[in-house]
Amino acid sequence: MRDLKHLIYFENLLQIANNELITKAKKDGRICAAYTCENVPEPLLNLGNAFSIRLFAPHTGSMDIATYYMTNLLCEPSRALLERAIEGGFNFADCVIAPDGCTMMNRCVENMELLHTMEAGNEHFFHQYMEIPLKGDENGVNLCRIQCTNHILKPLHEHYGIDISEESIRRAVEDHNEICRLIRSIGEFRKEQYPRITGYEFHVLTLATYVCPKYLIKDKLEETLEELKTREPDDKPWRVRVLMAGSEVDDSGLIKLIEECGAYVCADRFCFGSFPGREPIPLTEDEDALTQVCRHYTYMCQCPRMMNMEKVYGRKQYVADLAREYRADGIIYEQVKFCDPWAYERLLGSAMLRDDYGFPVLSVDRPYNIASSVGQMRTRIQAFVESIEIKKIKRGE
Amino acid sequence: MSKTLLRFFLKLFAALFGLFAVTFVIYFFNLDMKATSLIEPIFLKHYEKIPRKQYV
Amino acid sequence: MVIKNPVEKAGEHTLGVLYSNGKVRRRREWRGIRDTLYDYTRWLYLVSILARFVVKPRNVKGMFRYRWMSNYLAVMHGMDKFTIGLRDEPLRITHTAMNFVIADVTKAIDDCFRGDRRLGNDRAFSDRCVLTDENAMTAFMMGFPNVKAILREVPTMFAANIFNQNSTTHYLDVAQEFGIPGDVCPMPEAEAGISIDDDFCVLGRCAVQVNTTCDGSLMGNGLIAKRLEREYGIPTFQLVAPMRHREEDVQEYAAEDIRKAIAFVEEHTGQKWDWTAYFESAKRVNDATRKRIEQLEINSTDYPQFFGSVFSLYNDTNYMGNCGRNADFVKIDKKLLALAEKGVKNKRMAAKEYRHRCIVWGVQPQYCIDMLYWMLQCWGVVPLTDMLSMVNTRMIAEEDTPENREQAYYDMAWLNENMIMRNRTHGGYKVLVDELWEFCEKMHADMVMMWEHMSCKALTGMHGQFEEQARAKGIHLVWVSHDLCDPRVFSRQAIRDQFSSYMRTVMREEPLDPSIEVLPDNDAW
Repeated sequence: MRDLKHLIYFENLLQIANNELITKAKKDGRICAAYTCENVPEPLLNLGNAFSIRLFAPHTGSMDIATYYMTNLLCEPSRALLERAIEGGFNFADCVIAPDGCTMMNRCVENMELLHTMEAGNEHFFHQYMEIPLKGDENGVNLCRIQCTNHILKPLHEHYGIDISEESIRRAVEDHNEICRLIRSIGEFRKEQYPRITGYEFHVLTLATYVCPKYLIKDKLEETLEELKTREPDDKPWRVRVLMAGSEVDDSGLIKLIEECGAYVCADRFCFGSFPGREPIPLTEDEDALTQVCRHYTYMCQCPRMMNMEKVYGRKQYVADLAREYRADGIIYEQVKFCDPWAYERLLGSAMLRDDYGFPVLSVDRPYNIASSVGQMRTRIQAFVESIEIKKIKRGE
Repeated sequence: MSKTLLRFFLKLFAALFGLFAVTFVIYFFNLDMKATSLIEPIFLKHYEKIPRKQYV
Repeated sequence: MVIKNPVEKAGEHTLGVLYSNGKVRRRREWRGIRDTLYDYTRWLYLVSILARFVVKPRNVKGMFRYRWMSNYLAVMHGMDKFTIGLRDEPLRITHTAMNFVIADVTKAIDDCFRGDRRLGNDRAFSDRCVLTDENAMTAFMMGFPNVKAILREVPTMFAANIFNQNSTTHYLDVAQEFGIPGDVCPMPEAEAGISIDDDFCVLGRCAVQVNTTCDGSLMGNGLIAKRLEREYGIPTFQLVAPMRHREEDVQEYAAEDIRKAIAFVEEHTGQKWDWTAYFESAKRVNDATRKRIEQLEINSTDYPQFFGSVFSLYNDTNYMGNCGRNADFVKIDKKLLALAEKGVKNKRMAAKEYRHRCIVWGVQPQYCIDMLYWMLQCWGVVPLTDMLSMVNTRMIAEEDTPENREQAYYDMAWLNENMIMRNRTHGGYKVLVDELWEFCEKMHADMVMMWEHMSCKALTGMHGQFEEQARAKGIHLVWVSHDLCDPRVFSRQAIRDQFSSYMRTVMREEPLDPSIEVLPDNDAW
């Protein structure tokens, strides 16, 4: 396939956390609301003059200082973020909003606060910690509404004068939905037998929508979508198609590595992937927008920390449905090392998807930065690809 | 009568003292735990033989 | 300030002679005639408890069915761990508290076997039972006097580990064979392993699970619930305990879920919530809270009386597992306090010298190792209190009025959120770090023994902050790493060595009893 016109542009944006678009947005006088977990309702960080940036730490190498503060027993993403914060890599942020979701990410942000990593020179800077629902029910919606009011809307308004009115929320949701529709439309091409976009390219585009000011990449996403409509796919079929589920993948190199082994990543159900993170939020006039946003996040959430059994079973059903819709031959359940929620979800998910839904499953843990474990991961993926192929041969396909 | 009673109490006392002596020796020399520590491996072997429905 | 014991300790002075290379000790401790006879009578009492348990055929059957039952062969050994070196009131306090805990656990096992589909299969009894988590507050059961809360994991995993340090290793292996990584907390992992190994008793009308202490605990629940629901047809309810439990804006959420949990129990057991029973229990909860605060005040004096693992173990059982539902705890509380008051009046000391006053913090393995008594006897370091004992101090509404009935849901939610461990490991760094220094000041502690549970991310995530703040405040902070209930990662001696090394190299001190500095107990129960 011919290279996508803007792929290098998007790839370059992912090389550092403080990318050129953040600098531009800040120059435009905008307020950067940083966050660390996909359970934070993203549109609420994009009200008025504010824009959301999800903190990530590309090309992480040494994490010595963060390891001193949090030991080497915490997951690498949490240590990588703290290290980057200590290095000054997130100094663009005007506030950090962190849900008390997984313990490690919460401790990461608490250390950022205690070490005063970001607030230098900004007297309005604030940290906020949110409680997020643990169950998908109306009680959770109510909690989410209270938490968003107290820990996102009020502080943004009080510290930076951000417009938090109903109209402002509706406008932000509409902007958010436009990005979601673009990503979803691009992602639809992954269903094709000869897909005109690789999983790697799709991941680069999706990740960019989390770590860049959205309004500054929208035109290029639209252009990419148009370009894809006429892009000629390779006529060589992929050996197998896989769905990936698990912890956040901040390193597109992992997707590239999997695809180099002949496995096309046709669907992304991991933290900060497009499922369910880029699901548009439908708004009606029957209820205030804030409640509807909270309802969407509470019921749509696929985080393993959601603990009611409807959610526990529902998450596996969701993966199975996606796998069927995107015609996956197998599923990769991956987990960043030391991530407790995904450690258990990986076990239960891989067991249920294999035993109850009949999918071949690879269950694997991995480092945050795949560069430190390329050989091991490649061997695992290659073996998985071969095992699926053997199954296909046995079935006479 | 009183002699019979006295004899009874003496026997009772001797029996109780005997019981005390035996149990105290078991207690002090930790014979109870020494005995159960010998039983434990037999139980562990037995548990290995029980068929189990292991699954997630 | 060093406090020397003016009274020479009766009996054994070099405790190292008691230890052997095997599973058990050479012999029991000689404590002088009076205290040895007292200890002997308590031994007889425990023998009688076990004898009453063993005469029931279904319990013998249970011994042959469940692997975890073999750990109860070591009950007396466990008791000996907690009384090492103790005399006078501290010895009596320990026995009073611990014997009651053992009786309570024995009753729990008996109940489990009675209702177990594989053993007693008493269906009528089983239908009146609700399964709950081992680490869960049973507050939502305070108004169900006719329903039994079965804390199924207590005898299976938690209590078993008190008596035998190897009690969980088989289950950890099973869990890891099935794919749970070895880096998660071994406690929920072992519980998941028990479920995978099909080694839990199966009983109860329904089950209520709570996101108790950590992400691992929360996630393990789903795995256990799946088997309960899909294989055994026992419906489960997941009760929410918010993370940021000190915040006002989460209380409504928590209270609403308590309402739902109560409705769930009502629906499945057919029993109605009884407000009279609830408020009676609430009075007992407050009574226990007051007594615990008084115990802590006694431990703030120069002559602490109720300390060590048993202090937290008894408080855990009373605070969480009981939560005001059993009136017997009130009598025991009263007895314990009277003994402690007598002890402080008589200036009783449990070692020949008190050199340092220490707060024990972090997630602790101290039930399966006699560490806290060892610190006292070997180094003269007095463990004043521990993280797990620093729970709720707020009084709850105890009069039955319409307003208090509404308040009751918030009180139950508050207790639920403030379960042991999670009330410190969650809720932000203030409850874990800042409040530790406040307790040091209140209890006049000059040292903190920090249990660093290597799989507890909530605690290790604050490692650097503890280190820097302790240095700034001039408090001796001794890190002692361990892997909770997996002795294969850190052996008992490896744990003790970390403490001894600090005492020798930083404090430049010599042990009070050098015979126990290194002990051959790695293979012991």
